[in-house]
Amino acid sequence: MRVILMCLTQVHFSMATILQNMQTITITTHKQQIVVLCSKEEQTNIQTAPGYATTNYYYQTDTRNDGSSGNNYAQSYQNYPSSDTNAAQSSSTVPANSFSYQQQYNQWPYYYNHSVPTPAGNPVAGSSNIDNTVVNTTSGYSYPSTEPPPPGTTPWKSNSSASVAPPVQAPSVPEPQNQYVQQAQLTPGFQNQYAYQAPGVPMSQNYYANQAPAYPQNNMNVNQVPLNNHGDQQKSGSLTTGIFSSENKTQIPTIPRIAPGFSMVIPKSEKKTVGADLAKKPAYVSVSVPKNDVKAVQHGSDARSLPFSLRNYATRNLSRCKDEAQRAACQSMIQQITSKAISNGTLLTKNWDTEPLIPLPENLLTMTETSSANNSSSLPNSTPRRRLKSRWEPVPEEKVTEKVEPLAKPLMNGNTHNNLKAQNRMGDSWNLGKSLQSPHAPSNKITHRLSKKQKMGSYSSVVQNGDNSSDSDKEKDLTKYYANASALANSPEEKKRREHRSKRFEKSKDSSSKSRNSAVNKGAVAHIHTRRPISALVTGSYKDGSSLAVEDMDWDALTVKGTCQEIEKRYLRLTSAPDPSTVRPEHVLEKALSMVETSQKNYLYKCDQLKSIRQDLTVQRIQNELTVKVYETHARLALQAGDLAEFNQCQSQLKRLYREGNNGCYFEFSAYNLLCVMLHSNNKRDLLSSMASLSKEAKQDGAVKHALAVHAAVSSGNYVIFFKLYKQGPNLNSCLMDLYVERMRFEAIKCMSRSYRPTVPVGYVAQVLGFLPNGDDRSEECEIWLKAHGAVLSVDNGGELQIDTKASSSTLFMPEPENAVAHGDASLAVNDFFARTS
Amino acid sequence: MAAYLSMGEAHRRIADYLSRLDDAISQSDGADLASLLAISSAPASTPLSDALAAFPDFPRLASDRFPHLSDFLPPLLRAIHSHSLRRFGDAYSSFEKAASAFLQEFRNWETPWAMEAMHMVALEIRLLAEKADRELVMSGKNPDKLQAAGSFLMKVFGALAVKGPKRVGALYVTCQLFKIYFRLGTVNLCRSVIRSIETARNFDFEDFPVKDKVTYMYYTGRLEVFNENFLVADQKLTYALMHCNPQSESNLRKILKFLIPVKLSIGVLPRRTLLEKYNLLEYADIVTSLRRGDLRLLKQALDRHEDQLLKCGVYLVLEKLELQVYRRLVKKIHIIQREKEPSKAHQIKLEVLVKTLQWLGITMDVDEVECIMACLIYKNLIKGYFAHKSKVLVLSKQDPFPKLNGKPV
Repeated sequence: MRVILMCLTQVHFSMATILQNMQTITITTHKQQIVVLCSKEEQTNIQTAPGYATTNYYYQTDTRNDGSSGNNYAQSYQNYPSSDTNAAQSSSTVPANSFSYQQQYNQWPYYYNHSVPTPAGNPVAGSSNIDNTVVNTTSGYSYPSTEPPPPGTTPWKSNSSASVAPPVQAPSVPEPQNQYVQQAQLTPGFQNQYAYQAPGVPMSQNYYANQAPAYPQNNMNVNQVPLNNHGDQQKSGSLTTGIFSSENKTQIPTIPRIAPGFSMVIPKSEKKTVGADLAKKPAYVSVSVPKNDVKAVQHGSDARSLPFSLRNYATRNLSRCKDEAQRAACQSMIQQITSKAISNGTLLTKNWDTEPLIPLPENLLTMTETSSANNSSSLPNSTPRRRLKSRWEPVPEEKVTEKVEPLAKPLMNGNTHNNLKAQNRMGDSWNLGKSLQSPHAPSNKITHRLSKKQKMGSYSSVVQNGDNSSDSDKEKDLTKYYANASALANSPEEKKRREHRSKRFEKSKDSSSKSRNSAVNKGAVAHIHTRRPISALVTGSYKDGSSLAVEDMDWDALTVKGTCQEIEKRYLRLTSAPDPSTVRPEHVLEKALSMVETSQKNYLYKCDQLKSIRQDLTVQRIQNELTVKVYETHARLALQAGDLAEFNQCQSQLKRLYREGNNGCYFEFSAYNLLCVMLHSNNKRDLLSSMASLSKEAKQDGAVKHALAVHAAVSSGNYVIFFKLYKQGPNLNSCLMDLYVERMRFEAIKCMSRSYRPTVPVGYVAQVLGFLPNGDDRSEECEIWLKAHGAVLSVDNGGELQIDTKASSSTLFMPEPENAVAHGDASLAVNDFFARTS
Repeated sequence: MAAYLSMGEAHRRIADYLSRLDDAISQSDGADLASLLAISSAPASTPLSDALAAFPDFPRLASDRFPHLSDFLPPLLRAIHSHSLRRFGDAYSSFEKAASAFLQEFRNWETPWAMEAMHMVALEIRLLAEKADRELVMSGKNPDKLQAAGSFLMKVFGALAVKGPKRVGALYVTCQLFKIYFRLGTVNLCRSVIRSIETARNFDFEDFPVKDKVTYMYYTGRLEVFNENFLVADQKLTYALMHCNPQSESNLRKILKFLIPVKLSIGVLPRRTLLEKYNLLEYADIVTSLRRGDLRLLKQALDRHEDQLLKCGVYLVLEKLELQVYRRLVKKIHIIQREKEPSKAHQIKLEVLVKTLQWLGITMDVDEVECIMACLIYKNLIKGYFAHKSKVLVLSKQDPFPKLNGKPV
């Protein structure tokens, strides 16, 4: 619901702006006033509103609408779907698909409530399937939906009797003013709405005429949509619109905080309308019925009962149009075709999917002065986009969807706040820039959106179905079903999958129209690109089924080319697509690497720098000698620092890089790998495969030989050889052996205490177990170590310190490790690892 | 041949094959069905594949004739056809479809009459996947069919490893899975299957068919070799050896290939004739070195066969025989010394050992040799102690070289 309101708001705002700009239409001024009034009231409302429950309120409102006049309900009902079209239109970026799903999703519970009783009302209202009879049945619905009790219930009852003014407003706003506002609002609201929808009403004629080239009147929902929305907003969304239009920027940020209040506000306004409607101007109710019917009759043939396939067909046709004039011509053609089909009775039987497209009227270009003038407004936007394109050369159709993304994401949560935020993120350019264009381009956008819908298969049909939902119950049930399904399937994956699936077949068919379409839209979207170019692109291509599946994506096209010239950069884990301005190109990375190599700073700093270099390499997909060098450097540093986690990361990357034919210190790292496998992971199968994968040349390499010798020493338990190798390890082999030293020493001392009798001198032990000489006497450290491990020491006749092996053999133990862990990562504590390996 | 095959004849052959399949299913003739499903091994598929080549509309024929088997027969025929054209990737894909349909049916059959056919499917899918993978590697693509076959067989295993009469067929599928996992090098995946087989209380392992038991024991024995659980490995591989069909020499050789290193490591040396009979001469030098205490020979033998031994995974086992060779050497010295100087027979000077090793061409310093002696004592290969001060290895007077008696080093 909130989402819908959002759309409405936005749409309305855009409309308002348009009208403001045009200044030619009579209605405009009218409306402006309303807007101002409404906005005033709305603000007061916002403050008072938060006490009420949110959604229930809305439902209730709607039922009340029903009560007051079935038409009201019918309108609002009908308007919702159109409003989403509108949303797409006003902010052409709005994601046709996800947005509308969301709307539907929100909308459905509401529909659901109402559609149940409708059968009763159906015969009366004809095409608008809700009427007064509904009231009786629906009244039951409003009660369970625990709304603010006294104000909510009383007007409801009174509404059905159509006599009492709603007390709802009483708490918040001074009564007289309210009434006035309501009245004011109400009158034009209806007028606008019906005027727009029914071209026959003189007032709207201006506006309509003005739009005529763009909207041939017959073009089903295409032309209906903007008008509808207008009225819709007037009625339900106008108050909110006031907020947005008058203080767009300031207001939005506050909304997330008052979100519950916000969502209530609108229903309330609606209620007020209704209340006023009933109380003050009952005449309008009666008037509006026939009007609505007129509208229904007029559009019933095309907008309501048109098969989706025909709508899709129309969309296809329209989407091929290059400009307004063509579109207009095309629309009239479609209109003719449609009416012909209706008269033939082939409307429903004809296979519109296979119907040949209408040839484009090329000579209509002269009629497009207005549109070209309009387009100029979008020109500044299109420039940056072009630049972007050259860089990432996105598939044009991805444009379409990338706009979806920023909105779609928050919408997943169904949160108004997020939604608002998202829009807010788009900034004023979103609202202003977009909506400024919208008067001229709406048809583009609509068609665009429709083509989108079409691609979405059943989804789109649901949406459109919703548009014309006041036809049959059956259809409504169907839409309900679909909508529920779509609500369930609202998860991005599902959506993506579906879109992808449905588009597979239409791709070729639509490709031309799509590209043209997007060409039209490019300008409009451009500013978004400049904001979050790649993320939008990437996510867009993810989300959008029309684009390729992940495995088909052209990653080259998405690869970043960095422009950052800073040598030093802190590592920050990317949470979104990288910004080229913060990514360093290769030659800068080379400098950064040498800076790290020569840096005197500590490992943490270097690790951080190297990680950022690795990140920049990764996002730019640089895989060459430099990459190898960076990983090797980092692996070595990590080894020296005992950072096994980083080492393993680098090692696995290096394995891949070597395998892919990048030159580097392959032997050195093969040796590390061997040592790592044998000493750390101690997996015999891994060791076997590592050994088996060594080439003859590798086995001749000193470092590898050393590693293999270490392996032999470990496997036979020869501690003497192990510690000899430990001392002479090439490269950083000794660093890896460090991991095993403690264990090897303990094994050795166990072995010694078992096999030596009666004693073994500590000096000898210190020597063979690789204790570092401490001045003249290296045994001091060894002595400490031995004592720590429970060895029994004694001094012999010659004054030499000895280990009493027999006594020691039963007292040796492995001490608990202190906090110091050789590799610096307590979670990989040596003892844990010992426990695992033993 | 195919060119001369008339449409009618082709049609007849295909129809014949299909009706035989249908008959086998309707009469619950598992053996017949199995033989009909043997698409890659049975020669019977040749005339059929000619017919398929001549009659390209065979999938429709199949689904028209036998609509109840419409998701089984057409892909099966397609698999046979692709296989005869040596398009193994396609053959695999089609066969997997057919196999899935068959598995679906198989689940619904209450009796295990089609076990033989199911086993044939399991075998065929593995063989086809191996061929398909070879084909994929040739064309530079990622070979993933065997893995896919593995996951399909897991499904089959799931259908079989249940309570009831079908369980008897589970071990066969387990063995096929082992083959896949060993080939793919993902032996850790074996664990879940093994657990399912070995922890089942309602089915005695001995009730499985012998051939499956032998295969199972062979593979689980190999796994134990990797884990260096020599006693368990010995037990399993010995079981496999004892129950293996004595006629099947290649299988016996495979078992011995792993059993011999295991036996060596627990101190049991094979006769040379055995090695010769089963062409396992890569172990001959190692056995000799163990007999003689010839450390140099051991190292040479290991070097010479390193790649081969690494590949089959026994290198690390054989490498550990080094200590046994040292022991043998010390024993020999001890025997010689006993003859020369009976009074000092149990005292072996370190320098003698160093000299001996030098004579064998192995240069080691005193500390290293001392360490080896310490290790020998530590690991119970020699009874005695080492006197550091006098650098003498003092052997126990009673049984200084205890027999391993099946105890691993």
